[in-house]
Amino acid sequence: MAVYALKRILLAVPTLLAVLTLIFIIVRVVPGDPATAALGDYASKEAVEALRQRMGLDKPLYVQYVDFLSGLLRGDLGRSLISSQPVIDQIRFALPHTIELAVAAILIGLVLGIPVGIITAVRRNTMVDYVGRVLSLAGLSFPAFYLGILLLYFFSVRWRLFPTLGAGNFSDPLANLHHLALPAISLGLIETAYIGRMTRSVMINVLGDDYVRTARAKGLSNRVVLLRHAFRAALIPIVSLVGIFAISLIGSSVLTEIVFSRPGLGRLMVGAIRQRDYTTVQSIMVIYACFIVFINLITDLVYGLVDPRVRYE
Amino acid sequence: MDGKQVWTFTLRQGVMWHPGPQTESYELTADDVVFSLQKSANSDTSAYAAEYTGMTFEKVDDYTVRITLDTPLSPLLFLPKVANYSGGFIMSQRAVEAMGPDAIKTHPVGTGPFMFQNYTPQNAIELVAWDNYFRGAPKLAGVTLRFMPDPSSRELALQSGEMDVVDGISEARWVDKINAIDGLTADVFGVGEVTFVNFDMSREPLSDVRVRQALAYAMNREEHLALFGEPVAQSVYSVAPAELMAGGLTREEAEQAGVAYDYDPDRAQQLLAEAGVQNLTFEVVTSELDSYRKHYEALQAQLAKIGVTLTVNVVDHPTFHSLIRENVNPIVIYIAFRPNPDAYFSQFFHSDAIVVTGPKPNTNFSHYDKVDDLIEEARAETDPDRQVELWKEINTRILQDMAAMPLLYINQVYGRSKRVDYGHELKSSLALYPQITELTTITG
Repeated sequence: MAVYALKRILLAVPTLLAVLTLIFIIVRVVPGDPATAALGDYASKEAVEALRQRMGLDKPLYVQYVDFLSGLLRGDLGRSLISSQPVIDQIRFALPHTIELAVAAILIGLVLGIPVGIITAVRRNTMVDYVGRVLSLAGLSFPAFYLGILLLYFFSVRWRLFPTLGAGNFSDPLANLHHLALPAISLGLIETAYIGRMTRSVMINVLGDDYVRTARAKGLSNRVVLLRHAFRAALIPIVSLVGIFAISLIGSSVLTEIVFSRPGLGRLMVGAIRQRDYTTVQSIMVIYACFIVFINLITDLVYGLVDPRVRYE
Repeated sequence: MDGKQVWTFTLRQGVMWHPGPQTESYELTADDVVFSLQKSANSDTSAYAAEYTGMTFEKVDDYTVRITLDTPLSPLLFLPKVANYSGGFIMSQRAVEAMGPDAIKTHPVGTGPFMFQNYTPQNAIELVAWDNYFRGAPKLAGVTLRFMPDPSSRELALQSGEMDVVDGISEARWVDKINAIDGLTADVFGVGEVTFVNFDMSREPLSDVRVRQALAYAMNREEHLALFGEPVAQSVYSVAPAELMAGGLTREEAEQAGVAYDYDPDRAQQLLAEAGVQNLTFEVVTSELDSYRKHYEALQAQLAKIGVTLTVNVVDHPTFHSLIRENVNPIVIYIAFRPNPDAYFSQFFHSDAIVVTGPKPNTNFSHYDKVDDLIEEARAETDPDRQVELWKEINTRILQDMAAMPLLYINQVYGRSKRVDYGHELKSSLALYPQITELTTITG
């Protein structure tokens, strides 16, 4: 398994290089540049040219590209073109907040979504199923930012149960959890809807399979049939889905980060794109790409745990 | 002196710099002032260097600074250059030299009532009271500025009591809404940012003044004003407006000069017919920001009534700024605050500043070049009354040639808990946000 993992990581390197090269080109092709963005209203041609020089943007593109790659190899993600601060410091601050939000949202999605999916599959075409499906449809239809604002209005403003600001200090776990609750619930409910519907769909297929019928014929209890046989088989597509959600949450949590005024990688990325902060955009993409490789690898390894037929060579 | 103008500033004594990460607290002297202004005058270190062309700065003694101008300027033009605006901020020489120009960006060192303590990216800036402030120790122990990009979230935080003061939405509806909530109030204050519509007269058919005037008559100031509402916004009748500065035209003066351009779609169509144009179409980009997009959408509807089609493409704000400076838009709606008419005229209506092709391209989107001499004459005029007359003349000429149509100015809007007393009357702030001073208090 270790050899398999290493092979996967090495294979990811050319993909990573291709993605980074593409990002390097795309951010420079889009109209606007960091000097104009930084100067805004005062962006006279003279001022823009002077600032571009100070930012190193007057160098030939291939020089900028080589500088970027050689910096990466040294572990140097460069400095923000706008704030001049090391990008690694900004990422170091934002990343834990994003990870904790994503993990919390996925946990909520799993804890609520899987039981809902199993119950609605087992009680198919009953009132329980109809209610469950309507609620998941509502969850899928609700934009995350709107749900966030609704939660803020009721739980923060009306009932004063949670703070409006969604990020606490990691040195105070309880307070941090208090700040995390609403944003995590906001994203988690939407994850619940997706996971619930997926689980229901997969369970319905599995419950119709021969081995499940055999298990029932053998006289096993409903609980054992569901959890030890049917659900185990349903886990593989669910694991795939969770892997995809985890990847998308790292970036798509930006709206939740904005509504709850939380620092995070998504918000950092959007801000960097708006300001045409090439260095920060490129460096965040490195982090994203590494995350995607890591999460895909974890997903594959979990397959091996869930499905004994899977072997790693 | 020798044809040059000399300004001599006597510095207040006992003004102490905050301690920095690598510097102790020390007294502000002429060294810091000269260092800062020389930095501002250097194009390698300042985007505002052009403002200080022809100026030299020297220390006479520890508390006296002499600024010599090759070309005399009136007080109205000179003083903003040394105020807390653009290049006029005075910095601690020792702190800048110790930390470097990059580090000072995220750990500023100043002389105000509150000093920098901590900055967490995307989260907050924490300031603590500076007890050695020259006007006395602040009543507040500190101020925390939080970064909250969503206006709804800011409003909810104000309502929940977690925030005491928040940046609001520049709409009268929002002001009314906040004022109706028990314990909250909305502050509407200057400086006002002027919205005006520039017509690129270098391209057909906008090169015909009748076409430009037709488009101006098709614009309904009331509709644009309604997008924001009074008192948040007010209509204006010149690009450098009388409501904000000397040298502007009041409504009465504009009417008297025949350049008020009150809404008249019939006259608009008549002018288009005289110019022999029909089925006009324009394509423009607008910023996604409400303050720009709403104006373009209103303009689109207004021009449609006279048979002119305006296609509007929405792009993000940096792209908008970039594209309009590449002369992409035939019609450019721009929003700007400038401290005096000369800044408006020099940057928007002097031929030097014509986008792309001007000798020093800036924001002359209209490609107007008919008032260069007047602008330079007004700039060099040291008699304030005569200077104001010249500015009024320039404003009138711009309107007669319809290089740009002034619409309105927008004030700043902030929401506040009534527990907060700023300690001063909030009329106007160059910084665009309410000033928290040593007298600011919070009750309860």
